This record gives sequence, structure tokens and C-alpha cells, in this order.
Amino acid sequence: MKRTLVSAVAVTALLATAPAFSQDSIFVGHIADYSGATSDVGRPYGQGVADALKWLNQNGGIDGTAIEFETVDYSYEVPRAISTYKRWTSQKNPVALQGWGTGDTEALVTFVAKDEIPYISASYSGHLTDPVGKSPRTKTPAPYNFFYGPSYSDGCRGLVQWAADDWEKKGGDGAPKWVHLGDNHPYPNAPKEACAAYAEELGFEVLNPILYSLKPGDFKAQCLTLKQSGANYAYLANTGGSTISLLKSCDTVGVDVQFVANVWGMDENALNATGKAGDGVAWVVGAATWNDDVPGMELVREISKISDPSGEEYRVGHYMRGICSVFFMRDAMKVAKGMDGGITGPNIKAGFETFENHAPADLEGVCLPHTWTAENHRGTTEVLVYRANVADDGSFEMEHVFSADLPRRDDWLGW
Amino acid sequence: MATISASMIPCGQYRTSYAKDTTIFPTPASRAFAALGVALLAAAPFLVGSYYLNLLIQIGYYGIAALGLNILVGSTGQISLGHAAFFGFGAFASAWLNNTTGIPVFFTIPLAGLMTTAVGMIFGIPAARIKGLYLAIATFASQFILEDFFARAEWFTGGSYGSMANSFSLFGWTLDSDQTYFYVVLGWVVVMFLLGANLLRSRDGRAFVAVRDHYLSAEVMGIRLTKYRILSFGISSFYAGIGGALYGHYLGYISAEGFTILLSIQFLGMIIIGGLGSVMGTLMGTAFMVLLPELTTELSNGINILAGGNLPWLTDGLAFMKEAAIGLAIILFLIFEPDGLAHRWRQIRAYWKLYPFSY
Repeated sequence: MKRTLVSAVAVTALLATAPAFSQDSIFVGHIADYSGATSDVGRPYGQGVADALKWLNQNGGIDGTAIEFETVDYSYEVPRAISTYKRWTSQKNPVALQGWGTGDTEALVTFVAKDEIPYISASYSGHLTDPVGKSPRTKTPAPYNFFYGPSYSDGCRGLVQWAADDWEKKGGDGAPKWVHLGDNHPYPNAPKEACAAYAEELGFEVLNPILYSLKPGDFKAQCLTLKQSGANYAYLANTGGSTISLLKSCDTVGVDVQFVANVWGMDENALNATGKAGDGVAWVVGAATWNDDVPGMELVREISKISDPSGEEYRVGHYMRGICSVFFMRDAMKVAKGMDGGITGPNIKAGFETFENHAPADLEGVCLPHTWTAENHRGTTEVLVYRANVADDGSFEMEHVFSADLPRRDDWLGW
Repeated sequence: MATISASMIPCGQYRTSYAKDTTIFPTPASRAFAALGVALLAAAPFLVGSYYLNLLIQIGYYGIAALGLNILVGSTGQISLGHAAFFGFGAFASAWLNNTTGIPVFFTIPLAGLMTTAVGMIFGIPAARIKGLYLAIATFASQFILEDFFARAEWFTGGSYGSMANSFSLFGWTLDSDQTYFYVVLGWVVVMFLLGANLLRSRDGRAFVAVRDHYLSAEVMGIRLTKYRILSFGISSFYAGIGGALYGHYLGYISAEGFTILLSIQFLGMIIIGGLGSVMGTLMGTAFMVLLPELTTELSNGINILAGGNLPWLTDGLAFMKEAAIGLAIILFLIFEPDGLAHRWRQIRAYWKLYPFSY
């Protein structure tokens, strides 16, 4: 009796403090890193998400339902993301969340599954791709997690394929050596084992990983280790900021290695900063780039005017992926709106899982087509590999050198 | 005469025994006020929303840990720059005990406190030999050793992925909402603060103060410095462990990144702002430190709205302003109110007690 009384009063107190909800608005939380260790790529991505959400609201929302959203800068600190999540769930009743890092996303997996809130992350960790826990490698099933683009493990596997191809073209002798460089942090660690296993499958010799911090610094020691290891292909698992420092340090030390980078490890800003030191780096690109001539870019440029009315700002690749992530969510919400109960967490999840080779129609050519099912959240297995060609004066072009279409192997689910 | 002395405050020092001199509540009225405060807090879940409860819970678990640091720094005169690491150790220990052995969270919280005590006493051993700046650096090392341990000891902390902490449950009741968990924290706050206040008027507490005030004199009087310095580290770590365990089970997830040197400095900030050596001041200082970032947010939102909602530098810079506000508060307190909020509170009380003849 006492317990029911307590909970009744608690519920009343909760309702009294919650902001008034009108029927035709939904709340979406947005966790971004604007000031932490990954803010170099967190800013353009977060701006893309925020601009896309604002644009949707200016253009009728989800078929008339407005999206209320709040952007919280959590400085890449997992506890802050969790306390923000707890605040939202107790006060705002979110139907979906746009998230950021791997540490916080993986920490929230069980929370969002319990609360039935779809979580669209900017972490593409392979651990988030198994919704039912079928794979023996899965520690925790992630039924409510979605992300746009190939997983980190798949991206790295694509790079391994490109490297094998490259080694053959160069006419290299014997087994090429592969090495993983990254911080001891959930994000750089996510693809480490899965990718090493695939590299070994393709005949690479995998060396001991080398640690470099997510915070930019002087990495000459790491570069000397890399030089001595005799590696041929070095996978950079951190984000742009620290990768710039590493490439510059390695240029000074004189390391002769083919660098390959994760989707967050390289972008146009980073290339401007590295100059010639970034020449030849190959990395994963997950969407159209700013100067691409595809029909959907017209809408992207219009969305970009939300935060840059002049329309002159150059947007790096992460911005487009932010927009894609929101537009996939919009499409899932549209499907959910037609279901019993309307736009709720479980319906949005179901909406995502109806997509087969789906890409947002108004962003034609910008976003990669994705397929999600109730048992498989590996949205895409297509990996686009770009290479930077940097001229002596520091100007550069990005060349699309390789596309990998990875098999949907059962043992790769959730890994 | 008896009725007068019970209802009125004596004007002068009329205490006739040591017991009266060291009593926690000098008058029946102050005891009634404290009881009323606790009763009011117990009613808080019915009066305020989750947001405020969340702040009160934060003040609770940080306050417990800060009190431990205050016993070490304020009362024993030692210094610790590793308090956040002990706080983290308590959080991981409680989650680890609960996850591996299945002991209910109700019991793992005090057990985690004891485990942290052991760790704290080991890291406190240097205090037997060194003091001042050298001790600060030695405890600084413990901060980094433990931080690195958290990131690597996968069996204990889950490594860089962190560890899940189950919610607090007791006889089938799960206390995982802000409304219910608040009582868990409140219970611990009352117990730990009563323990802390009583500790300082015990034989050991007086020994701590003697060590702080003049260690040579203390030693001459027969106080074993080594014992009391290490004991102080142990007690301080016990408090940190309890606070950390409460934090871990509240958040539900513990990350190795949450316990950096910055948090250690914030703990020091709490007790400096609150008042070194003051039990009540600790709680005031903690409340100040928890509420300051929230006030900064409100203030910047307010300015933003007044300016028409179009000051992107204000929203962008908010994260930096929160950190800067804490730094500024510590500096301003050191200059203008080195004895902390507790001292200011005593002055305000004295002013009203003597009003209008405050000379």
C-alpha cells in the first residue's frame, strides 16, 4: 500500500514538473561533443544533425509533427552522457536519441533497450550491430541501436581489402605487415580484434598495436616504434585531431608506411592541417563529399544555410553523415506514424527494420542505401575508400580509389 | 532557572563539563533545526521534481566523499590529490562485488567502503614519512596509478569499456528512480555525517587535530604520528568509497574516465569553499560546487533569451564557462573568505543573534 502511494505521488510529481506536451510534438535528444577529445570531428557532425533537425521543423516536421530537440555538449565524458540521458528520460520522454561516441553509446545499450528508445549513434562500433544476441561474440545484444554507414570493423575490413589489392599492385614481397594505432579507449578499440582477424585471413602479418592518445600531442616516440616495426600498412583508429599530430610527427621521423584511417580519422580539415605529410593517406568515406555533383547535394546546401546563411562555408564529410543520420531517422519516424500508437520508440525501431536498400529520397546520391532487419543491424556493408593526393603547395584532391562490398557473414555480426 | 536555560541561549560560557563543551548541538533549538532539516529533506521527493532531486543526490554522494577529504585535510592537516581515484575505486569495487558474487547492493556499498579503506591506507603509507608538497605529489601518484589500473584491469573494472552497476535493491524492492534512490543517499548522508561529527569529538578526533596543529607537540604528548596519519587516510578513503559506490549504483554505469585529477581538485575546492575542518561546511561547499555549473547554465540561458536567443558564442562557450566558474570561485574564496562558507554562516548567525546590538 505504502509503495503504491509512494509511486503514485512520484508519478504526480513527475507529471507536474514535466513540460507541457502537445500531441503533435516529439522530443529527440542530441548528445554532441563540441569541446572534448573528439570535438574536431564532433563539431561538423553535430552541426549537421542540428541543422537537419531545424530544417525538418521548418518544413513540416514528421508529416506535421514537430521535433523538439535539445543539443547537449558532453565533452566526450561518458558519465555526462549518462546523466544527460537520465535527465531526458525522467523529464522529457524522448522517442529517439541522436548520440555520439562509442564509450557512451555502448554504455547506454542496456538502458535504451530497457526504456525502448532508438539510439542513432555516431559511433559505428561493430558491437552495436547484433540486436538479438545471436552471434557468440556478442556480449550485450543491442536491439535499439542504429547507426548510419559501415561499422568500424567493416570499414577497417574494406581497408584491409584495399591494402591487399595495393600490395599486389606494388608487387610487394612476402606477407605485408599490418598494425593498429589508437588510444586505449572504446572507440579506437572497437575494430581492433575483428579487423586484425580479417587481415590475418587475407595473409597479412599482424603486429602488436601501438598506443597514441586521442588528445593531440607529440607522437615521435610512436612513429619511431612504427618505423622499427617494419609495418607496411598502419591503421589509424583515432579521430582527425590526434591523427594530424601523428602524421606530422611521422613525417619528421621519416616513416615510410602506407597509412589507412578510420572514417573519423581523416577529413578535409585534417588534410589542410597536415599538408604534404597527409599525402597518400587512404580512408573510409561514408557519404557524398561537399563538391560532389549529385542531385541530393542541392538539399544539403540548403540545410547548410540554416547555420551559415551566406552559403559559403565548406562542409567536411562528417556534416553530410550527420544529415544522413537524421534523415534515416525521419524516414523511420514516418513509417512509425502510420503504425498503431504513432511515433513511439518501438515503432521507430520497427520502422528502421522495414528498410531494404533504402536511402532518403530527397538526398539522392548523398547517403548510402541501408538495410536493417530485426536480426541484423549491419545497415550497410559497402565501404568507399578515398585517397588524398596532396600537391607540394598543400592543395589536395580526394580520389575515390576503391569500393568494397563485404559479405554478410554470420560470424561478423556484432563484431 | 531550569526552564529559562532550556529555552534561551546563555550569554557567555557556562559549560561545566567536557561533554557539554563538545556537544554537536549546543542548544535544543539547533538540534530541533537539524531534525527539521532532515525531515524536510525526507519530504523532498513529494515536493520537488526529478531535476532537483538529481541535484540533491549529487550533493549527497559528493558530500560524503568530501567529508572524508575534510577529515584528512581539514582536521589532520594532510593533503590528498588522489581523492577522486578512491571515489572511483569505491564505485568499481561495489559494482564488482555485486556482479561477481551476487551480494546485494545494500551490503556491497559498505563492503566497497572497507575495500577502499584498505587501498587508501596503502597509498597513505608515504604520509608516515613525508609531508606538505612532497605528500601532495605522492598522493598525486596514487591518482595516476589508480586511473591506469581502472583502464587496464578488465577483470575488475571492465577496462576501457567500463562496468555496469546494478540498481539498489532490497528485499525485492528496486530503488532506481530519483524519488526512491534519494532515500538511500539521504540515509547514508545522515549516518556518515553523524559519524564524522562524532569522530571529531572522540579521542582519535582530538589526536587528528593535534597532529594538524603541531605534529612535534603531538608526538611529545604520546600521539603516534604514523598511526594517526595512516588512520586518517583510511577513514578518508572509507568516506570516498561509500560516496563512490552510491554514485556508481545511481548512474548504473561506471567509466574509468570519470575519476580524473579534475574531480580530485573539485573535492579540494568543495572543502576549501565550505570551510576546512568543518563538517557542516563540507555540505555547504559541496552544494555550492554542484549548483554553480547549473546556475551558470541558467544565467547564460537567461542572457541568451534577453539578447534575443542569438548568441552562439554563449551556448558554444558554456562548457568552458562552467569550468572557469569553478576555478574563479576557488580563487575568490581563497582571497575573500579563506575560512569558507561555514565561517560566513557563523557570522550571519552571530549577527542575528545579537541583533540589533551587534557590537
